[in-house]
Amino acid sequence: MNSRHPVAASLAVAGYVIMIVPLLFVMATAFTAGNTLRFPPEGFSTRWFGAALANEPFVSALFGSLQLAFLATLLALLIGVPATLAIHRGRLPGKALVEGLFLSPLVVPELVLGLALYQQLVIGLRMDNFQVLLLGHTVLLLPYAVRVTGASLALVDGQVEEAARGLGASPLRAFLTVTLPLLRPGIFSAGLLAFITSFNNVPLSLLLQSFEFRTLPVTMLDYVQQNYNPMVAAVSTLVLAATVLVAVLAERTVGFARIFGGINQ
Amino acid sequence: MHTRRTALLAAPGLLLLLTAFLVPSAAMLLAPPGVGTGEILERLGDMLSNAYDLRIIGRTVGIGLVVTVVCVGLGFPIAYLLARSTSRWSGMLLALAIFPLLLSNVVRTYGWLVVLGSNGAVGQLLTGLGMVDKAPQLLYTDLAIVLGLTQLFLPLAVVSCYSAVAQIDAGLDEAARGLGARRMRTFWDVVVPLSAPGIVIAATLVFAGSATAYTTPYLLGGSRHRMLSTQLYSYSSVTIDWASASATALIMTVLVFAVSGLSSLAARRGRTS
Repeated sequence: MNSRHPVAASLAVAGYVIMIVPLLFVMATAFTAGNTLRFPPEGFSTRWFGAALANEPFVSALFGSLQLAFLATLLALLIGVPATLAIHRGRLPGKALVEGLFLSPLVVPELVLGLALYQQLVIGLRMDNFQVLLLGHTVLLLPYAVRVTGASLALVDGQVEEAARGLGASPLRAFLTVTLPLLRPGIFSAGLLAFITSFNNVPLSLLLQSFEFRTLPVTMLDYVQQNYNPMVAAVSTLVLAATVLVAVLAERTVGFARIFGGINQ
Repeated sequence: MHTRRTALLAAPGLLLLLTAFLVPSAAMLLAPPGVGTGEILERLGDMLSNAYDLRIIGRTVGIGLVVTVVCVGLGFPIAYLLARSTSRWSGMLLALAIFPLLLSNVVRTYGWLVVLGSNGAVGQLLTGLGMVDKAPQLLYTDLAIVLGLTQLFLPLAVVSCYSAVAQIDAGLDEAARGLGARRMRTFWDVVVPLSAPGIVIAATLVFAGSATAYTTPYLLGGSRHRMLSTQLYSYSSVTIDWASASATALIMTVLVFAVSGLSSLAARRGRTS
């Protein structure tokens, strides 16, 4: 990478190897013709992809995960965007405390939140597993919605909305026709980040699973523990391909590094 | 906006946080069903004094620290080289380092089963080359957990360090060099101190994440290399031992809060000195 910094360059190469090489092995194993998880793969075939796509638990888990991620993202945005406006634009007493509260789910270990919801709401109040799971995911996504939309709101000039009000627009109309369109990239970034965070979540989805509802990552974990065949390698390769598509979509629209790295280039 | 209207905008979120986060968490930590707070404190005292639980706490803190050092040690050089590079590849390489943040932890961790498993790539390579007779046990070890967690949290370290290094004026490096400092000296005396806030954030995020991660110790540690997270899961879903589950959750939460507190203290010190 860089001949002037030989030590830094070798450490960097080691870092990339640890981040990327295991993924290459997953892809290679997915195309095996054999029945066990071994390397090098025995022959070439796409049969494990066929087996994964015909496997009812994996397919219904995929649709379940997509449904959960969609609903939780929608809820987090519907609740989080107005809260962001209140925090950044409103005259709210204890503004810093309120913002801290909205970001606080990031600090508590997810497994601890999952246990609290399972024990208190599912067992204690006999609430439905899926409803609690949806609430839990929404709580988990709120910090992303508030932080990413907030960063975008900071770039919007508040006087534009004031001007619209001055010209006779109602507060709602001024918001809908002036501020909201300017916030669109921020809301889109927040939504994408939230959707991916929910789709990939393990701790909450694991503790709040039920016979009727299980997410894809939890189904994969469970399958790996009970079987020694390469089915999950095929599922993983499909998830990897879909994630690359999402990354490309993010790059084309708002800029990948800005959303996921919080890096302003 | 008027105070009342503002309060209405934030109200649904505050209500959700109260009912689906703060109250259930407090109730779980202090008064689980059928268990008194005294019982939890007793179990907590027991955990902090018997060898079995202390080893799990020690492994959690130890693995968290090792992963933090490795992630900063590998992530900072990546961030530094990328931020200072003028190559047209640097954008691609930065994207490649951030991309794993989007990818499922299960998918990323699964790769190590293929690499480290008994029929995996490393074992086959070592036996194939005749270096060992029998593939060594690599999976279900602390080393496997450290590798898996490093893969998981290195992108986070790269991102935090990159933002910090990119803010430093590259002219300062050149000024130090112009005054006769060698590259190594410039790096340690100019670049590292100026990017210290980013390094502290990276270390905090990596430690908090790796000390509480579940997927990695579950898949790569097996049943003998337990961490607090895998213990918490088995207390809450296998043995249904609420007192032990709450005590474990309390230890995990305090650990993460303590590290976050220390890091914001360090950040404040850095700003005033």
